[in-house]
Amino acid sequence: MVEPMIVAFLCTWCSYTGADIAGISRLKYPANLRAIRVPCSGRVSPELIMRTFDQGADGVLVLGCHIGECHYDTGNHRTAKRIPVLQTLLSFVGLERERLRLDWVSASEGERFARIVNEFTEVVRELGPCHWRRFDQTRSMAVDNTLAFGAKR
Amino acid sequence: MTISAEIQAKAAEWLTSGDVACVVGYERGTHGRTRPAFIYQGEDVARLIFDKTCTHNLTTYLPQLFNDGSLMKATHKLAPDASIAIITKPCDIRAINVLIGENQVSRERLKVIGVVCEGILDGAGKRAFVECEPIYTYQRRCRSCSERVPLVYDFLIGESVSPELVQEEENLRGIQDLTTSERAKYWLAQFDRCIRCYACRQVCPLCNCPACLYERDDSLWVGMGFGVDEKRTFHLGRAFHLAGRCVGCDECERVCPMGLPISLLNRRLAQEIETMFGYRPGIKPAFSPLTSILQQEQGIP
Repeated sequence: MVEPMIVAFLCTWCSYTGADIAGISRLKYPANLRAIRVPCSGRVSPELIMRTFDQGADGVLVLGCHIGECHYDTGNHRTAKRIPVLQTLLSFVGLERERLRLDWVSASEGERFARIVNEFTEVVRELGPCHWRRFDQTRSMAVDNTLAFGAKR
Repeated sequence: MTISAEIQAKAAEWLTSGDVACVVGYERGTHGRTRPAFIYQGEDVARLIFDKTCTHNLTTYLPQLFNDGSLMKATHKLAPDASIAIITKPCDIRAINVLIGENQVSRERLKVIGVVCEGILDGAGKRAFVECEPIYTYQRRCRSCSERVPLVYDFLIGESVSPELVQEEENLRGIQDLTTSERAKYWLAQFDRCIRCYACRQVCPLCNCPACLYERDDSLWVGMGFGVDEKRTFHLGRAFHLAGRCVGCDECERVCPMGLPISLLNRRLAQEIETMFGYRPGIKPAFSPLTSILQQEQGIP
């Protein structure tokens, strides 16, 4: 069984500190997590998330400050609007929407951080390996128009 | 008076009085097809036409005309405060509304000739239509279009029509009914055909960034390459950038030389934006709700 690889974008003001607190409190969370420190969850553009999946991540976790607590006032408002739309888009083109998760962890919530990472890892493990990357490796696919569903052309 | 004659009369009036410096409209091109036309002198207005083959969304030219004048020949440089007139269908008017909301176009310097539209024929812009051909069908976007009268105009041509609406979402639902891996397979087969000619981006009235993120060789996480993953990121990223802005003119799909069903992505996101924010782009000049901050009633994960 291959372990899922999970990439987490952590806001440096809240969630990254929250992850620190989880470590200091000696809470257990899975080692599948690769943390990337970003200045704000609003920094995580859809291109970054798609690139992460392209590079072989099985799940992407975006963690930011609670709404109203953003260091930049409204950075996380933008994330809160973008991520659900991106989930819809990705699920429309064939990536389970559960593989991308947005949540809020404040600087003192080490316990919440560990719980979210545990939950998310279980969800991704349940889903199995991500086929997003595997399809890419057969770079030039034969044009398959049998799946055109009466679409024109 | 026919629609074309009315357009010509109004364009001549505005050009000779000096109200506008340029009229953007349609003319008859080679092989009987229609093509965009730029008219600068009153005596040239006889070239202007309008019929059911005028499929182009002329609002694509507005940001360039207003912001850098890069479309202008040296002999036709516009004064910095010159006005422009444009001939538009109801669907194109929505793009004007988005452009005004995003400060790409100034309403004061724009004169809009709105045309009541019964629909545009399928295949328009690609081939000529001759009388002896049997039956023409309307384009998909026209068959399910509920706005036949322009929302904004300075001069309106035509009377309101109320054609039968066909609610066509089968293609969309056909894909949503598939399993996840079937969807991935379908879309990869589509994106694999893309040749990255950027025709979809060039023709889009709302893709007006001066430098495109997907055509930079120094960006770190999007590529210009030909791998299917990079092509997929281009199309998904473009659809995402148009979320809450796309007015559904389907020009991207019409100009695609490889026949990618690009409009499906845009329609799916438009559907999602409407359910999430209750917002339809282009009804009034406004920013996309994706770019604003949360309102209190909106759900937070």
